[in-house]
Amino acid sequence: MAGAFQFAPAIAALPFVSFLIALFGGRFMPKRGAFAGITATGGSLLLSAWMYFAVLSSGEPHLEIVHTFIAVTDPFTLELGILIDQLSALMLLIVSLISFLVFVFSLGYMNDEGETGLPRYYAGLSLFSFSMLAFVMASNLFMAFMFFELVGLCSYLLIGFWFRADAPPSAAKKAFLVTRFGDYFFLVGVVGVLGTFGTSAFAGDGSFPVLAEQVLAGETVGINTFGFDPQTWFTILGLLVLGGVMGKSAQFPLHTWLPDAMEGPTPVSALIHAATMVAAGVYLVARMYGFYALSPTALAIIAFVGGFTALFAATMGVVKREIKQVLAYSTISQYGYMMLALGVGGYVAGVFHLTTHAVFKALLFLGAGAVIVAMHHDEDMWKMGGLKDRLPVTYYTFLAGSLALAGIIPFSGFWSKDEVLFEALLRGMDNPIFFAAYAMALLGVFFTGFYTFRMVFLTFHGEPRTTVAEDPHQFGWNMKFPLVVLGVLATVIGFINMTPIAELTGAHIEFLHVWFEHGGEALTVEHYGALLEQWANYGEVHAGSALVVASGAVSLLFALAGAGAAHVLYNVPNPDEHTDKLGSIKTVLFNNYYQDEYQVWLAEGLTANVARGADTFDQGIIDGAVNSISGVSLSLGDRTRRIQTGDVTNYATLLTAGLVVLLVAVGVLGGWFV
Amino acid sequence: MMIELLLGVCLVGAVAIFLLPDRYSARLSFGISLLPIIGSLYMYATFDGVGNALLEGSTLAFETKVNWLSIGPYELFYHVGLDGVSMPLIVLTTILTTLAILSAWTPIDERQSQFYGLMLLMEASLIGVFAALDFFVWFVFWEAVLIPMYFLIGVWGGPRRKYAAIKFFVYTNVASLVMFVGFFLLVFGLGDSIQTLGLPAIAQALSAPGAVESIAGMPPNTVKAVAFFLMFAGFAVKVPVVPVHTWLPDAHVEAPTPVSVILAGVLLKMGTYALLRFNFTFLPEIAQQYALILVAFAVVSVIYGALLALAQQDLKRIVAYSSVSSMGYVILGLVAFTLYGLGGATFQMISHGLISGLLFLGVGVIYNTTHTRMVGDMSGLADRMPVTAGAIVAGSFAYMGLPLMSGFVAEFLVFSGSFSADFAYAPLLTAIAMFGIVIVAGYYLFAMQRTLFGQFSVSTDYEITRASAHDVVPLVVLIVLIIALGSVPEIVFDMIEGAIRPMTELTATQQADTGSEMLGLGVSFLGGVLL
Repeated sequence: MAGAFQFAPAIAALPFVSFLIALFGGRFMPKRGAFAGITATGGSLLLSAWMYFAVLSSGEPHLEIVHTFIAVTDPFTLELGILIDQLSALMLLIVSLISFLVFVFSLGYMNDEGETGLPRYYAGLSLFSFSMLAFVMASNLFMAFMFFELVGLCSYLLIGFWFRADAPPSAAKKAFLVTRFGDYFFLVGVVGVLGTFGTSAFAGDGSFPVLAEQVLAGETVGINTFGFDPQTWFTILGLLVLGGVMGKSAQFPLHTWLPDAMEGPTPVSALIHAATMVAAGVYLVARMYGFYALSPTALAIIAFVGGFTALFAATMGVVKREIKQVLAYSTISQYGYMMLALGVGGYVAGVFHLTTHAVFKALLFLGAGAVIVAMHHDEDMWKMGGLKDRLPVTYYTFLAGSLALAGIIPFSGFWSKDEVLFEALLRGMDNPIFFAAYAMALLGVFFTGFYTFRMVFLTFHGEPRTTVAEDPHQFGWNMKFPLVVLGVLATVIGFINMTPIAELTGAHIEFLHVWFEHGGEALTVEHYGALLEQWANYGEVHAGSALVVASGAVSLLFALAGAGAAHVLYNVPNPDEHTDKLGSIKTVLFNNYYQDEYQVWLAEGLTANVARGADTFDQGIIDGAVNSISGVSLSLGDRTRRIQTGDVTNYATLLTAGLVVLLVAVGVLGGWFV
Repeated sequence: MMIELLLGVCLVGAVAIFLLPDRYSARLSFGISLLPIIGSLYMYATFDGVGNALLEGSTLAFETKVNWLSIGPYELFYHVGLDGVSMPLIVLTTILTTLAILSAWTPIDERQSQFYGLMLLMEASLIGVFAALDFFVWFVFWEAVLIPMYFLIGVWGGPRRKYAAIKFFVYTNVASLVMFVGFFLLVFGLGDSIQTLGLPAIAQALSAPGAVESIAGMPPNTVKAVAFFLMFAGFAVKVPVVPVHTWLPDAHVEAPTPVSVILAGVLLKMGTYALLRFNFTFLPEIAQQYALILVAFAVVSVIYGALLALAQQDLKRIVAYSSVSSMGYVILGLVAFTLYGLGGATFQMISHGLISGLLFLGVGVIYNTTHTRMVGDMSGLADRMPVTAGAIVAGSFAYMGLPLMSGFVAEFLVFSGSFSADFAYAPLLTAIAMFGIVIVAGYYLFAMQRTLFGQFSVSTDYEITRASAHDVVPLVVLIVLIIALGSVPEIVFDMIEGAIRPMTELTATQQADTGSEMLGLGVSFLGGVLL
């Protein structure tokens, strides 16, 4: 099986080839490059599965340098490499699976709907798959940054796919700019990590998390902390990288780009803005968890931001009219749960929720895409209703995804969200910050249940509210197939890690925990646990089975309460909006807490005015000084102006003659002709 | 002999084009300009230089050294040769000249023989600047560049071409004078220890302790510092560094597209190249002593230049001001004086030459078609001009430092180099300069959204058609080069490193006698500039 790893580069290379094919040959192909993408991502999926089993059987992470970027050894080498371990193997599987399904779904959503510009679309999707897979496999932080940025580029290109309209290019610009703002901090962090450790490798003996731990342990390893106390400096570096994480994973206050990004085609939303690119941020925290585990401050910030975002975004989701907007806010909220898990030391819980969320959120977006096609590209839920009987495949798969999202037992989201909350509760029992984060996240569960089922009821239940909803457009297997695959997965994937059941019965069924107990020395969950205990004072808390079950029951109760409230208000033949009852809060929620306003003011109001001021200063003062100085001398030179005839032939003749004279003179003086 | 061959082809070609009628000149000059490309690529492939051209222990590639004449006590040589810094710049010059000539086919429709002749004349001068190793030869080429540039802006330029051309000429000429004074102050300070104006001889004489004598009551260190800043001021105009940058936007706006390509792509690099060769190789200890002041210039150029770009409505002015910002990174890298700082700065010279060339060409294609460059005058051009729009998108992202494109490599190296540099607050100052990458994204994203995307409309009454092949080919060539350098930077960086590493070892030996008494002054100066 070890031979499997030599094919690892192909996982990313295949989509790159299909990018080239779609870009240059797409217009000559029957499906405009879709088949190239399907083949490539299908190949990546098979290879990823192979890697998964190879990791399973070898137990050792695979580390290899693929391309030496800058081959200087002093001060440091920049390399592109591959790291395949338990974490990246799992993520590769998720990314390639969802990419593959999204390509298939696009056949129905884009080709069958007669869109133009499809080679560009498939080239963008392929480039995205390439960048994301390469990001996941990245063996060092420098390479991770490179592909993190490329992923951002693909997001820009695909959000702005319909560039002839006004809204998509604007949304694309905003997405790139907001994430770029986060990436600025990330870049400073990468430069800082390289400057500090002389390496940015994630794994191996000389990797930066290992070096950092050795420094804290008092060993001298010769690193430069720029005059700071090592732990303070590591916290600063960790927080700098976190800037990029918050941008990409849409955490408060850098979440504002994601709802706008819904301007892109829905399959893109499913792939990029729900299941994979947005996951890149959280994945990065997990990837360098050995480093974050050394800094209790960074962890507390991650946890608190996560908990806050989970609640904050969920409340905005409850008033949205468009189906994709609800899902967008739910995405922001769900990534908050993952951040919370990682912040409170729940490494497995965070990755578990990342996994289940990728599946059920991709499912919900594709389901929403199916509904949108059925509704002739109308996204307003108030114009739907009663689609349950008319679109049964979509309904039942969407329902499975919704149950998972809301966290209803036994669907996948229940198990992962429950574990996140459980970990947060454990840590919150002796720390008020973590308890606050837990409380916000728990309250968020109620809102999640509410907006999820409000969406389900408005879309599928009741009576059709428009003629389009009475007779929706039907679609083919290429859209139903991905829905069914994801629907089944969303139902069962939680079974890989049923902690409450394991606690109750004593059965060894926490497969994901077991999975992460293996692998490279400094990459296992035990190692992270030891680091947390030693450097972040996350003592081992052993909770009894009662607490495990109680925690699960409470979160289930909150979810059911939210879903129940939605049932009462919206599961009626002709539902009302009910938003008026919220009073002034309604306006605040509709305006998303005015987060956009101040950010637009920062970007356009403040910065543009500063720029205009600088321009006036430049034209008036600096250039004015130049002109007034030259004005004096120019008037003196006025008399010599008569030499200028304005005829370029004259000038050229003079020029050539002068040059010849100069050359001859110099030659004579220099004795060339002697 | 290879360098003389390149110069000869360009000069003979220029004369031939001048003499032949207009109808042959476009195609013929393109054909002639291919020869220097072949030559320089051949030189690149067979390059066997070792070390830095100015420092001991180096072996120059393609060296010619002929005793020429003597002026006073000084023996002058015709001395040319290449090392790892100048070789890539010569390849850049030959490639950009050819692409600029191709891009002139559409817009230049009068006095063609003169236009193309001057372009080749300029190519010769530029090659000479990068190859010359004796001050006298170097200065002749340095000044010779101004003449074709003056006419190219002043004759084929836009409505205010006379103003822009004179401003360019006078500004850079005054700067040359200042630099000249600084240089000779240093040479006189060296006294009898040198009998030539050879740049290697001067650099090596300066590296000996106590080489510089007092002049007119100024202690040696002051002589060096004054010489350094006079030369810095002179070269700063060419780069350009804020606050001596205002000739640049005027020159760019008035210059025709092909001239802008050469101006931004190669001419600005003369300034940074000369800074590297003169200031930072001659007097590294002075550079380190006043590092904070120099970094202040770099940071202000980056941030202030980017803010100015943000305020512009003319696409060409946007690219012009963003050049000011990008060249600030070169200064930052030079001041850092680490391997990645200096190497990144050199890499940025090449990279910025390609990227700014691409954007100026792209804007030129838009202007040829729409006859306007104002952001508010057009929208949705991607609908009618997909390839050009794609090239501008690629160029914009390259400018923003997108990975796998050359700008990212250059900027990343500069940032890494300056983050760990020796001057005070290096990490903080580097981080401030790095914020330029956010502002640059801001103005390019806004400009692209308004001009390329949205519903198609153009306020001028011209038929918008796809660009012709000779307009598109240069764009494609540059994109390929930018991606190649961004994906496999070693093809250039390996060579650059060979010439840069001896410089970094230079400071290690000289650091000992630099005082830090100027630190306080530097900090207060920086504070003043930032306020």
